[in-house]
Amino acid sequence: MLEMQTIKSKPYQSFEQNQVIDAIKINDTDTLKHLYTTNYYKIEILILKNNGTKEHAKDIYQDAFLVFWRNVKQDKFVPQNENSISGYLYTIAKHKWMDYLRSKNYKKTVVSSAILDIEVSETDFDKINDDKINDERLHSVMHAFKVLGMPCKSLLTKFYFEKKSMKDIAKELQLDAASTRNKKYRCMQKLRELALNLK
Amino acid sequence: MNPNTGITQELLEFIERCLNKTATSEELQDFEYRLKNDPEFKTQVTEIKTLLFGIESQALKEKLDDFHKELTEEQDQKVVSIKFEHFRKIAVAAILVIALGSLWLFRGNANEKLYAKHFSPDPGLPTMMSETQNFEFYDAMVNYKQGEYQTALDKWQLLLQSKPQNDTLNYFIGVAKMANKQEKKAIEYLETVTLSETSVFKNEAYYYLGLAYLKTDNIELAKKNLTFSSVDNSKKILSELNN
Repeated sequence: MLEMQTIKSKPYQSFEQNQVIDAIKINDTDTLKHLYTTNYYKIEILILKNNGTKEHAKDIYQDAFLVFWRNVKQDKFVPQNENSISGYLYTIAKHKWMDYLRSKNYKKTVVSSAILDIEVSETDFDKINDDKINDERLHSVMHAFKVLGMPCKSLLTKFYFEKKSMKDIAKELQLDAASTRNKKYRCMQKLRELALNLK
Repeated sequence: MNPNTGITQELLEFIERCLNKTATSEELQDFEYRLKNDPEFKTQVTEIKTLLFGIESQALKEKLDDFHKELTEEQDQKVVSIKFEHFRKIAVAAILVIALGSLWLFRGNANEKLYAKHFSPDPGLPTMMSETQNFEFYDAMVNYKQGEYQTALDKWQLLLQSKPQNDTLNYFIGVAKMANKQEKKAIEYLETVTLSETSVFKNEAYYYLGLAYLKTDNIELAKKNLTFSSVDNSKKILSELNN
């Protein structure tokens, strides 16, 4: 006699989704690259259609991508699937582009009728601007890190971005763990000072 | 950021452990407690958080440019592949032309074979030497029967000048030209015969005309003319052409 086959609900999708979120949180390069490359063109089209250039598209998209990444890391945005990531990126980019079009700089040169049918709901607006409080300080750190000397930059990137273990980094640098940790600390001090001076 | 906020290596590592959840539960308890009750500690934690986030953000930002380069490379590859696609289309077209060309050649060969299989010159008319009236005509017929097609043709074409619509002359000139491998030239003479109202040669003329078109690879006209002929071979050729 045939047995009725029980159809279990697939845990696969949510599992996969959690994997994506985790991958984003640990800055997994392949995942980030995949998300970056698959969602770019939609935004490029949006910006090109609304008086922007490819350069604008790149800048706006990269800003949007950083916001997306930051919000995933802080659990401010919990994507349900890749579509929601795509939609989220699009909304942020749209908002950022609208901001740009409305900015004084832009209005000086372009008539306001150029601001087309771009709409962003208020809730999106609030979400996106949620962490504006830290923005200024964050940007000075980012700028400081940008101009930080290469040895420190490389060490800190390995440790904080690539999430490599102290042991592995020490091996790479051919140092013992204690010296590596101390080196890292001194690099952090340097970065702090730089960020303060650049402010 | 307050430069006077001294953060020691120990403090930095402690806060880091608590932030990336590698701290012990005891450490975490301590961390939570100090966060609530020690404003300076809270500031230090915020500062470290900002530093860590700033490092990651900038590192990612710089990576995004790498991702973007890949994007443009991808696009370039697309352009290349579009170009390749274009080239491919041309190549396909070229192959098609070659294929059709060779098909035509093969078909041509097939037509030629079919033609060779079925073409044999008309046996000609019996020569009656007594008839002086048509002496020149029958004289050429002798040449024709002996396979001297060019000689026959020369003589008949002279006669044709005074009787251009003569069906007998046109018919034999056509057939002689075919026997002389001048199929293309044969067509106009044979056509004259098929167009004449009443000719005893009409039936045969359609047959040879069909063969002439077959030899010159004009299948449609070959079929058309062969269908007008009741010569047995016509049906055979037609069925072979239709296969």
